[in-house]
Amino acid sequence: MKAKSLFLSLFSLLILAGCQDDFLALSPETDRNTVNFYKTAADFNNAVVGTYASLKLGGTYNTSLYWMGEVSTDNTNYGVTTRQAVNVDNFQFIDHSYTSLNDIIYAAWRDHYRGISRANAILSRIETAGIPDNLKAQYRGEAQFLRALLYFNLVRLYGDVPLVTTEITEADGASSLTRTPSAEVYNLIISDLQSAEQVLPVTYGSTDVGRAPQGAAKALLGKVYLTRKEWDKAATKLKEVITSGRFQLLPKYADVFSFATPTNAEILFNVQYKSGNTGQGSGFGPVQASEGARITGGSMRYVTADMEAAYETGDLRKSFSMKSSYLDATGQLVTQRYVSKYVQFGALAGDSDIDFPVIRYADVLLMYAEALNEVGFNPEAVTYLNQVRQRAGLAATTATTQSSFRLAIEQERRVEFAFENHRWFDLVRTGRYITVMNAKGLTVQDFHTLYLIPQREMDLNRSLTQNPGY
Amino acid sequence: MRSLKLYFKKIGLLLLASTWPVLGWAQVNISGKVTEENGQPLPGVTIIEKGSTSGTTTQTDGTYSLKATSSQSVLVFSFVGYTSEERAIGNRSNINVILLPDTKQLGEVVVVGYGTQQKKDLTGSVASISAKELQRIPVSGLDQALQGQVPGLQISTTSGAPGGNTNILVRGIGSVSGGVEPLFVVDGFPINNSGVGNPLNTINPADIESIEILKDASATAIYGSRGSNGVIIVTTKRGKTGQAQITVDAYVGMQEPARLLKMMNTRQFAEFVIEGHNNGWLDNGGPNAKITDPNSVRSASYRIPEAWQDLNNLPKVDTDWQDVIFRNAPIQNYQVSATGGTEKLRYAISGGYFNQKGILISSGFERYSARLNLDGQLTKRLKVSMNLAPTYTSTDNVPSTGHYGDYNIVAEALSMPPMIPVYNPDGSYGNTFDLTNVGMGAIANPLKTANEYKSTNAQFRMLGNVFGEYELATGLKLKVSVGTDFNYYNTNTFKPSTLSGSASLSPATSSIVNTSDVNWLNENTINYRRSFGNHSFDALAGFTIQKSTTTATTTAATNFADDLLENINGGQITGGSYTVGQWSLLSYLGRVNYAYNDRYLLTATIRTDGSSRFGSANRWGTFPSFSAGWRLSEEPFLKNLNLFDDFKIRAGYGFSGNNAIGNYRYLGLLSATNYVLGNTQVPGLAQGSFTNNQLGWETSKQIDIGVDLAFFNSRLQFTGDYYNRRNTDMLLNKAIPAVTGYTTAWVNIGELENKGVELALSGKPIANRDFQWTSSFNVTFNRNKVLRLGSEGEQLFSDGGRGDVSITQVGQPIGSFFGHVAEGVFLTQEQLSTHAKQNGAKLGDLMYKDVDGNGTITDADRTIIGNPQPRAFYGFNNTFSYKNWSLSVLLNGVQGRDVFWAGAVFVRGYHGVQNNLSEVIDNYWKSPTEPGDGKSPRIIRGALNNNLRYSSFFNFDGSYLRVRNVTLNYNLPQGLSKRLGMQTGRVYLTSNNLFTFTKYPGYDPEISNSGDNMLAAGIDYLGYPPARTFTLGLSLTF
Repeated sequence: MKAKSLFLSLFSLLILAGCQDDFLALSPETDRNTVNFYKTAADFNNAVVGTYASLKLGGTYNTSLYWMGEVSTDNTNYGVTTRQAVNVDNFQFIDHSYTSLNDIIYAAWRDHYRGISRANAILSRIETAGIPDNLKAQYRGEAQFLRALLYFNLVRLYGDVPLVTTEITEADGASSLTRTPSAEVYNLIISDLQSAEQVLPVTYGSTDVGRAPQGAAKALLGKVYLTRKEWDKAATKLKEVITSGRFQLLPKYADVFSFATPTNAEILFNVQYKSGNTGQGSGFGPVQASEGARITGGSMRYVTADMEAAYETGDLRKSFSMKSSYLDATGQLVTQRYVSKYVQFGALAGDSDIDFPVIRYADVLLMYAEALNEVGFNPEAVTYLNQVRQRAGLAATTATTQSSFRLAIEQERRVEFAFENHRWFDLVRTGRYITVMNAKGLTVQDFHTLYLIPQREMDLNRSLTQNPGY
Repeated sequence: MRSLKLYFKKIGLLLLASTWPVLGWAQVNISGKVTEENGQPLPGVTIIEKGSTSGTTTQTDGTYSLKATSSQSVLVFSFVGYTSEERAIGNRSNINVILLPDTKQLGEVVVVGYGTQQKKDLTGSVASISAKELQRIPVSGLDQALQGQVPGLQISTTSGAPGGNTNILVRGIGSVSGGVEPLFVVDGFPINNSGVGNPLNTINPADIESIEILKDASATAIYGSRGSNGVIIVTTKRGKTGQAQITVDAYVGMQEPARLLKMMNTRQFAEFVIEGHNNGWLDNGGPNAKITDPNSVRSASYRIPEAWQDLNNLPKVDTDWQDVIFRNAPIQNYQVSATGGTEKLRYAISGGYFNQKGILISSGFERYSARLNLDGQLTKRLKVSMNLAPTYTSTDNVPSTGHYGDYNIVAEALSMPPMIPVYNPDGSYGNTFDLTNVGMGAIANPLKTANEYKSTNAQFRMLGNVFGEYELATGLKLKVSVGTDFNYYNTNTFKPSTLSGSASLSPATSSIVNTSDVNWLNENTINYRRSFGNHSFDALAGFTIQKSTTTATTTAATNFADDLLENINGGQITGGSYTVGQWSLLSYLGRVNYAYNDRYLLTATIRTDGSSRFGSANRWGTFPSFSAGWRLSEEPFLKNLNLFDDFKIRAGYGFSGNNAIGNYRYLGLLSATNYVLGNTQVPGLAQGSFTNNQLGWETSKQIDIGVDLAFFNSRLQFTGDYYNRRNTDMLLNKAIPAVTGYTTAWVNIGELENKGVELALSGKPIANRDFQWTSSFNVTFNRNKVLRLGSEGEQLFSDGGRGDVSITQVGQPIGSFFGHVAEGVFLTQEQLSTHAKQNGAKLGDLMYKDVDGNGTITDADRTIIGNPQPRAFYGFNNTFSYKNWSLSVLLNGVQGRDVFWAGAVFVRGYHGVQNNLSEVIDNYWKSPTEPGDGKSPRIIRGALNNNLRYSSFFNFDGSYLRVRNVTLNYNLPQGLSKRLGMQTGRVYLTSNNLFTFTKYPGYDPEISNSGDNMLAAGIDYLGYPPARTFTLGLSLTF
């Protein structure tokens, strides 16, 4: 009988023990995962760093934004003339014959959302995390800044886009999301930036330089307002940046892009690169040992004749930003305009230190001038434009009316931000893309002010509709 | 012993008393002995006079004596598990009887999940196979022995290496991304099928009593989320009450390659190279290329080694490289076991040693095993048992599948030019390294590779469990068991600096992987078995809990200073990893068997599994099944016919699951996503895979309809089953909208169907006293079809070693071959001009089918060109016994499958680079006037037509019929055994894999490069061929 009761008690004990789902909740001990991660301040810091890293993906600042923001305009062209099956996607930016199968356009969609999901994962979890309040606020602000930046790109590239603000944890969680009206997307962008500017540090310590400071959030918000044609709000926000005194134009244009001064007073926010063959290097420029030496590899970006002609005589920026010919690896002289802005002499292919600017002070000045001018021609606006021109070694602007000043701003932005992926966005913002391109003989049509929704996404989500015209 | 004697004395007195009343009649004294067919005495056999209740039982030595009432009487000899025999007494006073085991006897008890059942009461599809059928086959693992013996069980030896891999499928391929092999349950313990090489090698086949294969859902649903690929239950031998029986088994034998390929000799190969390189130069050398161009003009690929240019003055070397790598290899096995015990305590103890050298040099497998099975009846109601089985195996591997660039010695040997000597005059190994600038590939010496490349595995496994069973009340038993499976294994590889695939040498490299896999289990079941009148019940309820932890440490080293130490200690550690994988499982299970009047049978089972592998929102799965049987043979209208000994119709439907989806698959993992801050790289992390909290098991819904028939006193038996196994919720990496932040997610979405028919016929056509013939045949037809994948029109390509030639797509079997259809060879100019445009094609090139009909041959013309899964597989087993002799012949075969002989791209590639089959030189297209056999292409290196692209030219019929095992057995005569102090003894001669009938031109159609990856099955990339084995064995019982 003793044995009997022993068995019975053992049996019931085990049943009780087994009822606990803890026994089944196993997570990997040797892999970081969503169960054991997002606990400590260090975890969130790592996650924030990982979100910054999404700006270096192929679909963001690494590749797609160059094609969509530069090659689709009169600034740059493809450089390759032989059409092959492998470069169909590239030629679509020359011909403006985009199809929904274009991988460059798909990559932009994919990688912007990839970054957004990283930010969302942080924002969904940080409020309940037991980490110091100051860090919590900063990390939240950084995630919101990055999410706003990515959505701002998306809404400008594609128009209405599905608005995802939380982590999706079901495989079909996005399979029937419709396109959110762009106004609502802007609401999120604005509220994200407004809350980011409250909490982001004004400056960072030396080891954290490269994170978004408060000024970046304000400047980006200014740009959002400018895009929304909310001139007063834009002017107010941009003025805050100017009066903060944190930023300034560097005396020498070339210094803004120097690897020797990777972070400087003109940079509000940029994508950070670092050589050393750790996958953190930049590959925007060709490989060249020194000024005028042979170009032996790396990536070439080609400048149009129209762009070359756009520089006024004496513009100091021209010779730094572009060249008209080069020596190839065999020493042959090749007459071909190319972008020299991102060359770091001596760097290996794909491994230079040159950061890619996202928002710099010159942009703040020109945006501020634009915002003021849109309210009405304003002599104060002229001074800001002239600050930029002066550094470039050019005389003061001759514009004296609102409309001529608009054109002066347009021209100045083109040469100041040449090859920084602004041209398409600027012209679409001012509603001048079609006119300007057609005047240059580029056959763009009205609907080209938005890119199309990738076919893969349309296939996987039947609720998505295509942009008109495509 | 004393108590035993007393026991028999008592029985004797009892018998005396019972026969008392009939004394004085014409009584006859009869004595004799009852033995098994191998001469072993059978104690406990009941002998009664027909028509009476009086009788006796045999003693431990099988002898009996009784007084029969009359010489007219008939004696009936019966024993559980054996066919009863009747003998008329006549004028004999000594009657010796051999009882034959009734292999498919209706009263037979079969092991099912968490219990046993009488075979006649089964309503599900369960096949049972006894140890005897397995143990005559001299192989390292039980899986190899099962091949061809069970319908529905498809076993392929994908590598012939000692201890090599087998692929085991029950009723077809059940998954695309998850596991496809059945669950193995050893003495009630569901083991992890893990380890190095073939994990089943850790179970000594000689310790096995029986194997049951649970096939349909009705039988496997009790294993819930692990049952969908079938369950194989292994039951080891237990002690029986009685005197100690000590058995010594030993066999020794020799293995040889079952087949060698006929390769070109030196002269043929020189002609081959000249032809191939000249043609290649003409195709690729520009408009002015001529075959008279000297090497100095040609690019390297089309040069011809100077020494081979004059066919009349070739090197005097003619090496048969297969002779270099193959050998006759010994195999030996020794086993000593003891069984016995009292009513209170029974034991089975064994120790075994198995050693198999490989037919490829430097390969071999060794196993040391021991087992202790104890059963104790502590009190009338309490029974305890314990099993303990430590096993140690060690394996020497030699690289033996894939490209010669990966040191596969088979590929090296078959590709090596015959004019290369094994050793150069200076004693160094011969190779082709100095011929790479004259158009030859860099092939390392296979003997050197085998001698210098080290790869060893060792595994220690200790499987042990204890259980107690307490009878709470009549028919109500509580059973508690606790078991552990400790499994440790390691792999050690070392490549010395002297070994290289090219002329340049690099420092040694080495790696070691140590794995520990600890798995524990507790099971608690209550069983109630009761009969009331015509009703009989057998109910089971249980709760089980199991957890497994696998820890693997990998360490790699390079930059060795020298080759002195053949392990990581000799160099600098350059990398390592540590991984822990755990799973846990909580289960509730239940089963009810109900029989009414022995005619109407119902079985219902259910299991609910909670598994750590499933997403947090979908952690528990429930798997019910239901089946029914009708024993028509018990119905009066049939019973009266006296035709059927058994006639049962079965039908069942149920659910089972496949949890072999990997640990933590549902969880998103984070990976390093670094960035630059403060002008320095800083670590960052980002989630790289989607979290799917809904991720769960794959579900198998299976219907099974079967019939069991037995005629002529059960001498002829038939079992037939139709099944339809529909797998749903199959795990697939599905494309999801990028808006989620991810592009793919593991989801349960796919569907797959396996349907088929299994037939098994067995009989005893002749059962005379001296001569018996037993025969059994089984055949299975299975059709596999993918019904749904992640998205419409999705094509999942798999690379089995030679590119994406295997495709899985809706409407087709898993892993079908996908390539061009080779329609023959361009023999006439007219064919060239009328056939669809094929870039670069010339006379003698392969002609491909214009599948899409657009007039041009492109990649779009690839289509399904074969199926590696057989249309049918079968086994045919015959045993003939005459007096002390018996002869068993087991045939098995596979019909209607294709094999991509990836090796043919090398050895039948018509390219003039690596050595080829000598038939190539006999058959090739030389010119319009010498078109060869009209089916073979021209010999050319670098044909613009790319004759080496994957096409049906490289596919072959993989059907075969194999004489799998022949055993000639001789039972020592009783007298001789006695004199030698034995109870019984036998000697036997076997041959395994004696002959294979097949059209397949490679070594063997079963070999596959991708092992258990069924998405790329049936690819023979010059793998390890199976051996033909001859063994001589003896088995002595004392």
